[in-house]
Amino acid sequence: GSLITELLRDFDTVEEIHVELEKMGHNIGLKSVDEILAKSEQQGIIIPPCTSLKDTAQVIAKTGFKMMLGINVDTVLSTDGNSFSLLLNENPLALFVELPPEYKNLQYSILYCGVIRGALEQVNLKVRCTFVKDQLQGDETNEIHVQLEQVLQDGAGDDYKEE
Amino acid sequence: FTLVVNTMAFLHLFIVNKSGGLIHHRALNPKAPKIGINEWLRIGSTFHSLHAIAAEASPLRMEGNKNPYGADDGIQEIQAAGLILRCFQTRTGVKFVITAEPGTKDCAYVLREIYVLYADCALKDPFYELEMPIRCELFTQGVDALIERVEKSSKQR
Repeated sequence: GSLITELLRDFDTVEEIHVELEKMGHNIGLKSVDEILAKSEQQGIIIPPCTSLKDTAQVIAKTGFKMMLGINVDTVLSTDGNSFSLLLNENPLALFVELPPEYKNLQYSILYCGVIRGALEQVNLKVRCTFVKDQLQGDETNEIHVQLEQVLQDGAGDDYKEE
Repeated sequence: FTLVVNTMAFLHLFIVNKSGGLIHHRALNPKAPKIGINEWLRIGSTFHSLHAIAAEASPLRMEGNKNPYGADDGIQEIQAAGLILRCFQTRTGVKFVITAEPGTKDCAYVLREIYVLYADCALKDPFYELEMPIRCELFTQGVDALIERVEKSSKQR
């Protein structure tokens, strides 16, 4: 809450705040994925490599959010398999929060979008993440939509391929 | 006539980032040979390249050069007369590499615990930038404590 009020003081438009929140989330996400992978192995939870976006969605919802925030998250896959939605019935970031009328468009939880984008970047998935339904704005649930843009390649691969 | 050394001790730990840069190196035992910083940097980038080339050169090629764990396929273990080298690559591309005397067990376990220490001490340090050298006291203390614990428990077996 106090972090958001600081941001409100620093920036003029809600759009700018969203960009900043998303960036902060991105930084958090970059570091979170190692923690989730390391700790789950330590606790004996096996996360097999994801063979499809459906697996990725499941891992984020059932392992990621559960481990980091202790909440249950559901997933909905799109028919073409290139995107999915995460449904959060509870939002710990928005507990005890009420948006004042002048900031009614503030998407507080766009932070999550940044976290997911950063985390997936670390495992070579480039995604676009948006907050489509917000309980703070009157919707019945919170929904984060994740769209896969590109699977990044890294490693020595191409340079060393046999001719 | 070969002299087989079968003692156990962890010798060195080094960590290589996604791009092959060395982000950490540490001697874990006074017995470990002294290695200068320039040599360390060379070791780091050489290992990174060899790790990748090994996947290409392997007679058993994996899909996308990824191993069953999901990380890049590559050198997991080197067994030599005088040492073992064990590498653990995370799915985010970081390589944790440990060298030890040939009789040492639990290298894989130690590397996984070091990954947890990395997540708890280095990543959570607000001043630590990803891919940069790790200079976190808590991390080095944690590694030392881990090595001490593992060496003590294996002496008791």
